[in-house]
Amino acid sequence: MNSARLQYFFSRNTYIFSLLLLAVLLGVNSSLQDNLFELRVLNNSMRTLLPLILLAVGQALVVIGGGIDLSVGTMVSMLVAVLIKLIDAESGAGDIILAILAACGVGVLAGMLNGFAVAFLRLQPIVTTYATSFIFSGVALLLLPRPGGQIPTDLRRFYAQTPYGVPLSFYIIGILILIWLIIRSTRYAQYLFATGSNSQAAYTTGIPVRLVRLTTYVWAGFFAGLAATALTLSTGSGQANIGDNMTLDSIVAVVLGGTRLSGGKGGIAGAVIGVMILRVIRNVIFFADVPTWSQTLVNALIIIAALAGPGLLGLVRRVVKK
Amino acid sequence: MALKLLAEHIVKRYGGVVAVRDGSIEITSGNVVTLVGANGSGKSTLSKVITGVVAPNEGQLLLNGEPIHFSDPQAAKKHGITAVYQELSLIPDMTVAENIWLTHEPRRAGFSINRGEMRARTQDLLALFEGTVSQSLAPDTLVNTLPPDERQIVEILKAISGKPHLVIFDEATASLDRNQVNRLFDLIQQWKREGMAIVLITHRMDEIFRVADRVTVMRNGRTVGTVDIEKTSAGEILEMMIEGAASPEKMRMPSVAPDAPVRLEVNNLRAGRLQGIELMLRDGELLGLGGLQGQGQTDLLLALFGALTYTGTVILGGKQAHFQHPRDAMQQAVAFVPGDRGSEGLLLTRSIMENFLLPSWRRFGVLHDTNTARQTATKAASDLSLVYSSLDAPASSLSGGNAQKVVIGKWLLRDPKLLLLNDPTKGVDVGAKGEFYALLRDLTAQGTAILFYSSDDDELLGLCNRVLVLQDGHVRDELSGERLTRSNLVAASMGTTDEQR
Repeated sequence: MNSARLQYFFSRNTYIFSLLLLAVLLGVNSSLQDNLFELRVLNNSMRTLLPLILLAVGQALVVIGGGIDLSVGTMVSMLVAVLIKLIDAESGAGDIILAILAACGVGVLAGMLNGFAVAFLRLQPIVTTYATSFIFSGVALLLLPRPGGQIPTDLRRFYAQTPYGVPLSFYIIGILILIWLIIRSTRYAQYLFATGSNSQAAYTTGIPVRLVRLTTYVWAGFFAGLAATALTLSTGSGQANIGDNMTLDSIVAVVLGGTRLSGGKGGIAGAVIGVMILRVIRNVIFFADVPTWSQTLVNALIIIAALAGPGLLGLVRRVVKK
Repeated sequence: MALKLLAEHIVKRYGGVVAVRDGSIEITSGNVVTLVGANGSGKSTLSKVITGVVAPNEGQLLLNGEPIHFSDPQAAKKHGITAVYQELSLIPDMTVAENIWLTHEPRRAGFSINRGEMRARTQDLLALFEGTVSQSLAPDTLVNTLPPDERQIVEILKAISGKPHLVIFDEATASLDRNQVNRLFDLIQQWKREGMAIVLITHRMDEIFRVADRVTVMRNGRTVGTVDIEKTSAGEILEMMIEGAASPEKMRMPSVAPDAPVRLEVNNLRAGRLQGIELMLRDGELLGLGGLQGQGQTDLLLALFGALTYTGTVILGGKQAHFQHPRDAMQQAVAFVPGDRGSEGLLLTRSIMENFLLPSWRRFGVLHDTNTARQTATKAASDLSLVYSSLDAPASSLSGGNAQKVVIGKWLLRDPKLLLLNDPTKGVDVGAKGEFYALLRDLTAQGTAILFYSSDDDELLGLCNRVLVLQDGHVRDELSGERLTRSNLVAASMGTTDEQR
């Protein structure tokens, strides 16, 4: 493979380094925790990871399009509240499907609000989505003033399935990546990457830049609906701030997955890997007897390191040359 | 399909600034019209109105007699109207093929992109410029790894890939080398025969006479006239564009005394593309650097400014110098004027005054003495006869020629002894060029040594007494006196010398 091909390959598959990092970290983790790959343990971890994975996928699409969404966490809280309101211990399959559709629908509406403000009113994405996050948080409290709710036990059992000895989450991730690969081959993906890379050039080329931006936030809302569903299925009940802390994690995961924060480069496979890296780092911290209260600190250090990474590499290269 | 597009009395205002006052142009199939005018005369804005990038405040477009309104570039594209933009419209993270076919990718069953087809069609398009570009320009090359001339070619291919009926080339030749320009003009002739309507915006007089059928001239945002190329002359066009313009021929620098002190001596310099450069430059001399683009000229200037690591010896003012950083070079009174004003030379959103004083703030104390600073900037602006609204206006409000004056002016405030110029007049209009040449003359008279890279051969031949021609990182030839002729310059840049001919 010549260097141009290599450059092309790495610019398309930004998750390669993340995948290597994940492999190394998994090695470290399994040396500290010998039952890591036992089906029961693996299934438990994946069940609790899936909500963040779904959320990070939505976040990745926003980031690739050149934006950022700081409201996805409280959006999940709000949508969990919606689900808990619509489902009780006796709900049938039809009710449950309707509830999930409702959650995703409300998520899409919330995403439209963000997208409209950012793409059409041209507001700063960081400020806008931070502000709307309080709207969603408020709605969550309104719907669910006290923690509680119940879901049918069959539903929890369904979510804990491991068909053919593989946790259900892996099937869902597989489907997601398959859909992404299909989308990646369409014109929409070209528009998305072009918009994130250089929106002015994209506009002059005739790409409907505002519409593309809007869709990324709508995706984020839709995936927040799926994340809320997965979260409800794994916890079995809800509270009005259950998703609030997921926003920063979703961004850290996207960055760890090799997606460029300034847009135009990345993918959802990276987001999935990013979430796993985050989880494995936390496992290592836990099993290495590092106090868990240092997690926030570790999170912050990871995001700084991920942001500074490319610049630091350049600096090291220059110093080594001299 | 025959097409006739009329722009009538277009007005475009940006806030209080009027970019186009009264712009009109007629464009027809099978015809090449050149749109000329000084920088800031409204050519680019008028063409953006035609391609739907900006909406006019007044005036109308008539397509085959019917009034038409383009709400965005997509709408214009649907009518086969597109442009090769000056500030390129390429996506840096995408490949050549993806950029060329963006928004009209070949698809399977109208759904998934057919990459094989896209690659093959890109090969066909690249073949148009075969022999004038490097091997690395391939369908899968990422655009951000390409040099400026090849990016420009990708931009051109992108515009014509949709088989448009009307294409506007906005200074598309500015970053191309001679071979590439020749090829482009051959292609333009061919497209014209095939019935394409073509608008060419250019600052180079010879290009106008090579390809144009008609010339439309703009001045201060107004269309001042359209003439048939058969019935006009360079002088008449120039007259219409601006009064009192200077051509480089009339501006030749006085030759420097052979015993003037040596400012710069370079031995066996290797950096980037450079394969061992020798040169000597005296105080008060304007030494030209010529050759095809990308033969190491920019690397040489960057190395001498400490912005590129190099090996070899550099003797500046009799003392050995080794610059690790532009700061070192600045302390030795070396100044560098970059070629790309927008990205390297100016802080576009900051004020004109700040831009002027950026390298010299230290002079005005720890707590800046802003009154003195303002006076200094005002004086600098008037010395350069800068056209500006206010010192506090953002640098982006300046037209191309005036912006370039600020880029140079900020270094002149530091009294440089050695001035490195990287293609400073690229995209600058004829009138501003004249003022710029006068400025160079003043500087050399004051004893400033200037190393001057220009992609415009006329400029090198007209202004310089001595020109070094670079090829493949070597000084292929040194031309001066009677040997400083166009044919020698061309021959040397192609790698042949007198002996071989």
